[in-house]
Amino acid sequence: MDTIIYEIIRSSLYAIAREMKVAMTRTAGSPIIHSGGDASAAIFDADMQLIAQGNDIPTMLGSAVISTRVSVEAVGRDRLRPGDVIISNDAYLGGGNHQSDVQFTRPVFVEGEIVAYTMTRGHWSDIGGQSPGSYAADTWDIFGEGVRIPPVRLYRNDELVEDVQTLILQNTRDPQTRLLDVQAQYAGCYVGDQRLSALARKYGVKAMAEAMTRALDHSEALMRDAIRKIPDGVYTAEDEIDAVYAIDGVQPTIPIKVTVTKKDDEIEFDYTGSGGQVRGGVNCPLSVTCNSTWFTVKAITDVSIPINQGCYRPVKIVAPKGSVLNCEFPASVVSGNTETSPRVIDLLLSALSKAVPERVIGQSNCAACAGVFSGNDPDEARVARTGRKLASFIDVHGGGMGARYRKDGVSAIRVYVGNAGAQSVEAIEQTYPLRIQEWSLVPDSGGAGRQRGGLAARRVYEVLYDEATFTVSGERDRQPPLGQTQGLAGQPFRSEIVRTDGRVERLPGRGGQFLVHKGDKVLVQPAGSGGYGPPSERDRAKLLDDLADGYVTAEAAQRDYGLGSIVASKPEAA
Amino acid sequence: MKRLGIDVGGTFTDVVLVDDADGRHWSVKVPTTPGDRVIGAIDGFSRILELSGATSGDIGFIGHGTTMATNMVVEHKGAKTALITTLGFRDILEIRRVSRHDRADLYDLQFDAPKPLVQRRWCLELDERIGPEGEILKPLVDAQVEKLADRIGASDIEAIAVCLIHSYISPVHERRVVEILKRRLPDRFVTASYDVNPELMEYERTSTTVINAMLGPVCSRYIRSFTEKLRTLGFGGEVMFMQSNGGLAPASLVEAQPVVLLESGPAGGVSAAAQLAKKIGVENVLLGDMGGTTFDVSLVRDGRPEIRNSVVLHSHTVRSPTIDIDSVGAGGGSIAWIDAGGGIRIGPESAAADPGPACYGRGGTRPTVTDCNLLLGYVDPDTFLSGSFKLDREAAHRAVQEHLAKPLGVNVLEAAHAVRAIANALMAQAMRLMTVERGYDPRDFTYVCYGGAGPVHAVDLAKDLEIRQVIVPALPGLFSAFGMIVADQASEQQLAIEREFAVLDAATLEAAYQQMQDDVAARFEAANVSREDLIFGRKMDCRYAGQPEAITVDAPDGVVDLDAIRSRFEDAHRRHWNFIKPGHALVCNNIRVKADAPTGWHGSITANPKLPAKKKAAARTRSIYLDGRMVDAPVYRRDELSPGANIPGPAVIEEASSCIAFGNSQSAHVDAHRNLVVNL
Repeated sequence: MDTIIYEIIRSSLYAIAREMKVAMTRTAGSPIIHSGGDASAAIFDADMQLIAQGNDIPTMLGSAVISTRVSVEAVGRDRLRPGDVIISNDAYLGGGNHQSDVQFTRPVFVEGEIVAYTMTRGHWSDIGGQSPGSYAADTWDIFGEGVRIPPVRLYRNDELVEDVQTLILQNTRDPQTRLLDVQAQYAGCYVGDQRLSALARKYGVKAMAEAMTRALDHSEALMRDAIRKIPDGVYTAEDEIDAVYAIDGVQPTIPIKVTVTKKDDEIEFDYTGSGGQVRGGVNCPLSVTCNSTWFTVKAITDVSIPINQGCYRPVKIVAPKGSVLNCEFPASVVSGNTETSPRVIDLLLSALSKAVPERVIGQSNCAACAGVFSGNDPDEARVARTGRKLASFIDVHGGGMGARYRKDGVSAIRVYVGNAGAQSVEAIEQTYPLRIQEWSLVPDSGGAGRQRGGLAARRVYEVLYDEATFTVSGERDRQPPLGQTQGLAGQPFRSEIVRTDGRVERLPGRGGQFLVHKGDKVLVQPAGSGGYGPPSERDRAKLLDDLADGYVTAEAAQRDYGLGSIVASKPEAA
Repeated sequence: MKRLGIDVGGTFTDVVLVDDADGRHWSVKVPTTPGDRVIGAIDGFSRILELSGATSGDIGFIGHGTTMATNMVVEHKGAKTALITTLGFRDILEIRRVSRHDRADLYDLQFDAPKPLVQRRWCLELDERIGPEGEILKPLVDAQVEKLADRIGASDIEAIAVCLIHSYISPVHERRVVEILKRRLPDRFVTASYDVNPELMEYERTSTTVINAMLGPVCSRYIRSFTEKLRTLGFGGEVMFMQSNGGLAPASLVEAQPVVLLESGPAGGVSAAAQLAKKIGVENVLLGDMGGTTFDVSLVRDGRPEIRNSVVLHSHTVRSPTIDIDSVGAGGGSIAWIDAGGGIRIGPESAAADPGPACYGRGGTRPTVTDCNLLLGYVDPDTFLSGSFKLDREAAHRAVQEHLAKPLGVNVLEAAHAVRAIANALMAQAMRLMTVERGYDPRDFTYVCYGGAGPVHAVDLAKDLEIRQVIVPALPGLFSAFGMIVADQASEQQLAIEREFAVLDAATLEAAYQQMQDDVAARFEAANVSREDLIFGRKMDCRYAGQPEAITVDAPDGVVDLDAIRSRFEDAHRRHWNFIKPGHALVCNNIRVKADAPTGWHGSITANPKLPAKKKAAARTRSIYLDGRMVDAPVYRRDELSPGANIPGPAVIEEASSCIAFGNSQSAHVDAHRNLVVNL
């Protein structure tokens, strides 16, 4: 087909995906969607292949490759009509990543035929289940993680099906706000439909379909070209993650393992040898494992390749059924998506460090580190103003991103698959019975190295609720983020409650629910990250700058970098 | 009197002089001198005097725009700055609320983390605390401030930003800190967040305040040096600076609040377009400014530029009312290339001004959008910049042949056309997003194009978006400088409210608005503009409780009417998102007041030499790619066309700084204000 028309259609698709995301985030009611931007939009072709996406949340977009197909097939392609919108979230019935990420899928009809699908995904700040905020890992099974929404039509002929809506929303803790999420996600899908229809009418249905096919082939060709440049070989790595439940007082670990086989322009990831699925929400449904894998391939090849499902064609994934990386009903999954998934990426980077050392990084914090407070607001004036008594608050936290081959790591960030931001201190204090006492970078939390790891950001809350529940979903409290190529490890995750009488309770990374009361202080500190290369090779001026800026303490400079000895041997520098 | 507009850009300093008695005008482009931009600006000033035969004394007014502030932020060349904040929050700037939304690509593990604006060692803390209701939870201790002041005093820190938690509700601590600092450190630039951006959300407020501090000493030096030089040259008139909101302000205000200079350059063009729209009675205008590296899109509605209250500049958030501009990396210098999969891509790499496109003959070998335009006949190698700068057609041909035509297996013309078409698509998408994201339909707009390359693509873009009319204003290549002459003065103020409508009291709000109007009026009085000449506008930032971004709506004239504001909010919400939430709690975040003083020149420029015949016959033809093939089109010189001239397509109309071409089914005419209007 005509190269010009192809390029115009292709670039239009990305512009449309962007417009869909804008339409969604500017309306949504979930604080995490609006402040944190934890929402995504994408376009699929008539065969449900991912064609274009915004620069959104990789984990939502990768898993949508699977969930969109499952959603459409569950309802039945032939039963879809113009103006239908399918809602789904379930990891098993809908191919989802975890229950709180809710997907809307809309067929786009032109001249009576489906020419594409538009998809929006948003993280709902509560989806029901055992605990407020739906973010507790200590669930017995998937039912504890929130309402299970199989793919069903929430809109028909562009009208909200109120019975379905009521049934779903009444199973969440704040139905009124969730309705805003519904409207926002619908708006995103609707806008995408409008634009795609216009595009198809302008250039023709056939031209659009051809352009989509070509876009997939184009990205596939680019990806094969990039994979070809990686040295052929078999690369392996092993690691372990924490289980949720202790057995006989001992918290077991679960092995995760990968064998990467790179040959010519294809690459296979075989997770055989990884442990079996466990009780508690650390398991990954296949969509999450696929996404972790695809993310890594994209990150270590060529980020400039236009992203679509074509990129994934040269990638083969083997994950044994019933394992922690391809769990089966009814395993719970909530933090498989946000914590295990980055751990898998760290594992893959570790395996690939022998093949492409300049493209991998030190290990990272690997957690959304979602902390949730929920309880009644004791401030009557605020209750009157806001019209809600139950104040549920979810926050994500920034940890370290590992050092790179040529650059230091990045501080206070969500790594890899997530990109949601944390909320403003002042906005939190305006809206919730919480006071933030500190939000600061933790010195020495980034591992030493020729390139230093990024630092974690610690938040300390003072509880102003009379009573509230608190849950936190951390990662790496027992496996600190290791350095790469002789770089040192960063600091692990830490969370604690300081009671009013001064007692300090250390919280486990695989948190359960804890009761907190007025005056308690809650500290949340994600892991830092690993360094890259031997600390002795650290540029001295950079080290002294780090010291002056307090990213590294004098003690660590001496211990990890041997700064004291340098100073001693060169007295003029002191 | 004569009025002068100067726009100091990254590469060129543009100067326009207008005689406001008869509309005669002169213009000149001189190189910007990045080491000391005053040199280039003064050079431009002297050159325009030579050109026009005017003297410094003839000039009564200078409007000045500059990209200096933007460049300082981008290049990290601001003054060395310290931040003073509340204990526990020194890392607010670096944490940036965790998210990196501006990250170019989420799959990129090698991205550059934004460099903190303030070195961490100079992020200092005070053990004080104010609560969300403005209550003092921990009183400020003067001695702590004095200690910090002494520490700063002993350093080479030039500027200090003060941003304490919840200061937007209660500035008492910030005020006291600033008082102590100013007393102890009279030679340092001190700025408080309450004065710069009294608004909820500490990261955004801190970032804005710190940028204000960084810019302070440097901008102040520039402003003083520039005005001093002008005085020594005998200039005795007024100097005003263009702000990001499209209004001018006197030097004294800009010196205290240099953050308003961030979009000073582009604001000139938008302001000129707003005046143009008012003058010719067009309601909705879509603006496209195509330069060497980017294509910038913005909107003017009802004669007013579309404004946003927060922008992200080079990954740093700045909350200051700013003309709403979207940029795409499709400028004349953007490089076209073939990726490994055989796809044609444009940018983000740009040949910029140096070496420039291949046809500039300065060593560029890769094909740019301008090279393709040259091959397609849209740029004439002999008449470019009035023939003062001959372009190398062969070099353009070689570049396109080598890097595009050969790998694609097509001929040079086809390759060039493909690049032009794809560049057009990228620009049209930016224009579409600009309108639809704000709830408008591009078909309801008139397209005003400027920048050297703006008119070159204008007709195709309008066609793509089904826009019916394209206007090329006078001086399209120096439109921003021209804007500095026609713009009015403006000043704004904001106040944080952060309360639900249900508990708001209209009388209290009315008093607050009145107070703000008094404050703004006092500023104008200091600049010799009387209150009677001011036009006040009131706005309110509102959102549904629990919702993300506020929508800023105009409050109706007259005393505060909350129901009317709610209904305006609902109109805006419906326009943006197709629905409203009746009965849902509505929150007022901030109230805003803006005052405009109509001090700009609102006349129309005329041609300088004697007017020739109504329509001068085309002197020659040019071969140009129109409607899918090369055709010979007659070429007209714009300065030889007088108002009323009508040109049927196909035709090419050239001028010193640009050129526009249109086909068979279109025609152009020159209107009474010497705008070139193409009807589609």
